[in-house]
Amino acid sequence: MDRGMVIFVGALLTFSSSWLGLILYPYWQMQNEQPYAKTPGDDLYPRPLGGAALAGVKVYQANGCLYCHTQQVRSAKFGNWWEDGQMKTGADIRRGWGTRRTVSRDYIYDRPTMLGTMRTGPDLANVGTRYAEAWHHPHLLNPRAINGWSTMPSFAFLYTREKVVGGQKSDKALKLGREWTVNPGYRWRPTDAEWAAILARRVSTLPDVSQAATPNPFNLTTAAGKAELLAFWLTTDEEDYQVIPTPEAESLVAYLLELRKAETPLPEVKE
Amino acid sequence: MATTTPLTQTDRERSALERREIDASCRVPVLYFATSAAFWLLVGTVLGIIASIKLHSPYFLTGSPELTFGRVRMAHLQAVGVGWSAMMVMAAAIWLMCRLSRVALIYPTLLVFAGTMWNIGMIADVVGILSGDAQSVEWLDAPSYVPPFFITGVGIVSAWTVATFRRRRELHVYVTQWYILAAVFWFPWLYTVAVLMIFWMPATGVIQPVVNWWFGHNYLGLWLTPIAVGTTYYIIPKVIGRPVHSYYLSIIGFWSLALFYSWAGMHHLIGGPIPAWLATASTVGSMMMFIPVIAVAINHHMTMLGSFQRLKYSPALRFTVFGAISYTAVSFQGSIEALKDFSEVAHFTHYTVAHAHLGMYGFFTMTMFGLFYYMVPRLTGREWASPTLIRVHFWCDAIGITIYFVSLSIGGWWQGRMLNNPNIPMPNIIEYLLRFLFARSLAGGLIGLGHLAFALLLVANLMGWGRQRSGGPTYFVEPAPNAGDVQG
Repeated sequence: MDRGMVIFVGALLTFSSSWLGLILYPYWQMQNEQPYAKTPGDDLYPRPLGGAALAGVKVYQANGCLYCHTQQVRSAKFGNWWEDGQMKTGADIRRGWGTRRTVSRDYIYDRPTMLGTMRTGPDLANVGTRYAEAWHHPHLLNPRAINGWSTMPSFAFLYTREKVVGGQKSDKALKLGREWTVNPGYRWRPTDAEWAAILARRVSTLPDVSQAATPNPFNLTTAAGKAELLAFWLTTDEEDYQVIPTPEAESLVAYLLELRKAETPLPEVKE
Repeated sequence: MATTTPLTQTDRERSALERREIDASCRVPVLYFATSAAFWLLVGTVLGIIASIKLHSPYFLTGSPELTFGRVRMAHLQAVGVGWSAMMVMAAAIWLMCRLSRVALIYPTLLVFAGTMWNIGMIADVVGILSGDAQSVEWLDAPSYVPPFFITGVGIVSAWTVATFRRRRELHVYVTQWYILAAVFWFPWLYTVAVLMIFWMPATGVIQPVVNWWFGHNYLGLWLTPIAVGTTYYIIPKVIGRPVHSYYLSIIGFWSLALFYSWAGMHHLIGGPIPAWLATASTVGSMMMFIPVIAVAINHHMTMLGSFQRLKYSPALRFTVFGAISYTAVSFQGSIEALKDFSEVAHFTHYTVAHAHLGMYGFFTMTMFGLFYYMVPRLTGREWASPTLIRVHFWCDAIGITIYFVSLSIGGWWQGRMLNNPNIPMPNIIEYLLRFLFARSLAGGLIGLGHLAFALLLVANLMGWGRQRSGGPTYFVEPAPNAGDVQG
């Protein structure tokens, strides 16, 4: 092996073999896959994304959602868990991540195709069928506002906190207790001194708020009563401020709502 | 290398003089690539530690878009996987090619230009990702304006390597040169095809992830691995002063790696929405990888046989041998991991992350540290300022990567088992993993400490704060008089 040409030709041939086999052949096989209609004239599936959802792909990409969430539902025969004597569990489907496995046709309009390789969090291939917009926004602002156990990052930078003008909150304002909105992305709690000041300043209105919501008014003369009131007060909306999604947050949620890859039946899915 | 003719003292002196002249010609371009690589390693280490902490403490540095987990994680992979690894690979390729071809470095300015292209690309890459231009294609997260810089840079280095090889004055082509020539040919092709088919003229649907993992796996297998294995083939015989055990084993190792590694990538998509035969073909390729790995392992082991006591003295040898052993371990593990039944558990978990770090860190990075400790004094004419700091570097890294690998392997395995059991809710899995992720942050901190020691040593060396190299190499401890001609 003292000749450069031997190394060059050998390297060319070995590498070409995998290039032809793993890239060009699948390219030839799948490049022209078409959307599906059960009978001619029916709605086609899948359809290309448009508008806000298309812009949402960019937000999903820019923030690396793919690194914790896959977008692929695996077959009902996939996954080995042998404890209860049942070899194949198809855990993806049984966890409710989709009604069927995903196939190549589900992805023909994806740019880029974000299958993912890590499940720190659940699969999102079909997340559009699971949650509504009203769930997504508070969850993105601070996932722990919805699930205390969550380790997902707060995406508070996709939201703005602003003063309410004209006494009327925006339709888009998040309906979320003040403990999550005073310092977006974090969980806020007043210090003892702050709480005392708030109580002193608003002692006339606070009990009204509490009495409207509970059958038994808080006894503000005891420490326990004050603590109960604090706990309740933290779950109520802020009066003077509101948290609004930015256009980026809205498009991201629009994209998440469009993720319905494991729903429409396709003939090739049969196992 | 496998010469049996005894060398006279005059021959030795003449070769030593020639090596010194070649090293002098390499000084600026090779040190430029190597120190740039080290800089990106430090950047990547900080980013990696931040990302690691965020996985168990989500409120850590939250609130700014630049430091959200996804972006930091992508920037970490680009900084260490592209900045450190690729620039270090090029530094190694340039220096080893000059030495083994016995020619002084040609076109130094052109190489500095290529390195600058790569550095500009890396700055745009990391800053671009942190400010929100990332692509979310694993290993190819660099924003769309970055690839032209990388392609230009590596194109120049590849052409330069061939030009140097054609000027060679040494007729025997050493195994390290085979690996270098093949790698500088494979990588530009691999990278250009991947960027073309994923970004410039996107292929349909799942063809993109197929190209993605053909690239991702071959980036390690046909770009970093050949150069790192080539480096072990150079450093081990040099330091212990014995030729490689078997020329024929090295031929088998080289050609079987070339053929089988390039087929192995699709096991990353096992169970996914791709044609089943693709994953099966890659499982076969992955199993066949036992051949090159065993060939290289036997060859290195037989070369080292009888010289293991030198690990006590030589920093370069100790790092390199750690890397070589990790190569065998991580490759065996990788072949097993590609089996479908195994992958059904390990896929989508931190088990894979542990495996990737055993390869990228335990094997590749440790081998490159070995090269650093051997190469830099020969380029600067200065020895390392403190053997103690080298020892700190070695043990922090060795213990750090061990904790990293063990904790994430165990955590990841059970994560996979639990994900496959639909009766275990997600919160339980997330809560269970916290302790392992915390251990990983500790490991990352330890590795970061090692890198700090390494950076101090490198800066000291470049500033000229060490004794002259003519006094002989830096050892952990001075070898016993009968230890033989330890050279590094």
